[in-house]
Amino acid sequence: MESAGSMTPDLDERTNPPALATLTALVHQSMQPATPEQLRRGWATVAARLSGRKARRRALVGWSTVGAAAAALVVLGVLSFSRTRMRPTPPAALAYQIRGGSVVDGGYLRESGNGAVKLVFAEGTEFVLMPGARGRLRTVDSTGARIAIEQGSASFQVTPRSDAKWLVDVGPFLVTVKGTVFTVSWDAAKERFELKLQHGQVAVTGPLAGGAIPLRAGQRLVVNLSKEEILITEQKPGEAWLGAAPDEPAEPVAVPRSDARVDDRPVTADAGQGASGRALVTAAGKGNGRRAWSEELASGEWDRILADADRIGVKRTLAEASSEDLFVLADAARYRRRTGLARAALLAERRRFPESARALDAVFMLGRLEELKEHGIDRAITWYEAYLAQAPSGTYASEALGRRMMATSKIDGAAQAKPFAEEYLRRFPSGTYAGAARALLGSR
Amino acid sequence: MSIHRFHIPLSLVVDPDTRNLSDSQLARALMTGAAWAHAETWNRFAPRVFGMAARILGSESEAEDVVQEVFYRVFAKAKSLRDPDSLHSFIVSFAIRIIRWELRRKRARSWLSFHLDIESRDLLRRFYAFLSRQAPRERLVLSLRHLESMTVEEIAETMELSVSTVKRSLVYARAKLSHWIETDLELVGLLDGKRGFNDA
Repeated sequence: MESAGSMTPDLDERTNPPALATLTALVHQSMQPATPEQLRRGWATVAARLSGRKARRRALVGWSTVGAAAAALVVLGVLSFSRTRMRPTPPAALAYQIRGGSVVDGGYLRESGNGAVKLVFAEGTEFVLMPGARGRLRTVDSTGARIAIEQGSASFQVTPRSDAKWLVDVGPFLVTVKGTVFTVSWDAAKERFELKLQHGQVAVTGPLAGGAIPLRAGQRLVVNLSKEEILITEQKPGEAWLGAAPDEPAEPVAVPRSDARVDDRPVTADAGQGASGRALVTAAGKGNGRRAWSEELASGEWDRILADADRIGVKRTLAEASSEDLFVLADAARYRRRTGLARAALLAERRRFPESARALDAVFMLGRLEELKEHGIDRAITWYEAYLAQAPSGTYASEALGRRMMATSKIDGAAQAKPFAEEYLRRFPSGTYAGAARALLGSR
Repeated sequence: MSIHRFHIPLSLVVDPDTRNLSDSQLARALMTGAAWAHAETWNRFAPRVFGMAARILGSESEAEDVVQEVFYRVFAKAKSLRDPDSLHSFIVSFAIRIIRWELRRKRARSWLSFHLDIESRDLLRRFYAFLSRQAPRERLVLSLRHLESMTVEEIAETMELSVSTVKRSLVYARAKLSHWIETDLELVGLLDGKRGFNDA
């Protein structure tokens, strides 16, 4: 991992080394080292899992010999039974609908408005991520899902089933659920975990002495890591929870209606990879097994996205696709040099979702598209200026200023571009266009 | 109402003396199940495993999951480590196994990063899309060789393959990469632009 290899020359030089070197350098530039927060969060999860494992091992040691032998016989029976048959195809993962948001890269749930994000699974389980909370869908299979709450509150209503397996990572804690109704929260800054169980049973493992803590209906568990304190309180019938968190919402949180048009569509599970915005495509006749456009884009299937849009009708796509799908469509069209379609998708993004961050990104992207045209450079500059005026510190500010500098140099000469080069170096001294700016200023 | 209190032992803070231990001394402590050795092993190796997973998978959030799984398994199987001098290889082999399993799941990844300019992001999106179409073994061998700078011998050892198999996979993967680079004219343009720009 650390040392450069000693390959035989013929093996190393058979393929385009400069291209590979460029790609390799880009990969290294793009990936940031793990942050202290990522490492702390990861360690907490590993420690919680180890703690749960130790508790399970202790319980296993306590089994009677007869019980263990019986279990072993059952296992052997199941194994021999399974060996006599073809390996079955894995059962389909639970389908789910998203209301009030979408699933983006890494399985993170993103609110589409200011309300909660609600996930409704095919077997009836419901999960609500409260406004302001950060959570993600880690995995979904036929028996349940694993959901992570990294900050804030969430509520669960899990439908009881004998084979159900639902796991909820809440900060460094792991909640194992069968069928139950509960709310849970994690405050990373205060290192405070809270779970209120209304019905059913759950087990909580985490950075605790003694392994899993079983909870029954009516109990509330509060763990304060900074004070090294665990509190379990019981609620009498009709009694309000004692010591409820002061920032708890007094009113039920509004969840978007189930008939919301965008984002309220069945999604076949494979969470954590950017499945999102597919109301239009699903409604237009795609089966649930088809992938979201964002996934197809990630797989390089630009042509499929374009074919979908053509099949549905470009006009209808532009009028009904979600904000994310419009952006994905613009990217796919750009990669395939269908600049007219890319431009139309970006303009639709701006027209239909004017308040979104993507609408702002679209301004910059429109400039890039104009640059691809034979005589589009003047219009490109107009778009870059518009972007810089609207988002002087935006995501693409460095690139917009850099492109404006390059475009000015191209049409008006280096002398006219120098003020932009100076501004660029002042604002982005180590930016992508810093080398070009220095070259323009003759100071390289 | 009943109230129970417990004390919680959770810390990533490791005794300064343990930070000076060699990897083999750390491995011996890990094999005996010393709790501090878990934290020190995490501190020492988790960032490296994270970087490797992120580069190969092209997703930082998935890399986080991989790191957790790797170290959970490493700690659970620490007693099976035969040679304390090979702790690093032991961890890397777990990492590679889990990354390979992730690749076999054929999950499409939405590759997004704002650490780069748009041309670079487009290039990387195409690169990872190309990688996602390769067989997991070829992809992994190519990534370990070029993204992680591992030797053929190191790759063979950690992937439990023969050196000749690794070489064959590498040649095969590179041939496909070459073909992809040469036949995608837009990619050639992007790569030339990127190289020219970097040289400017």
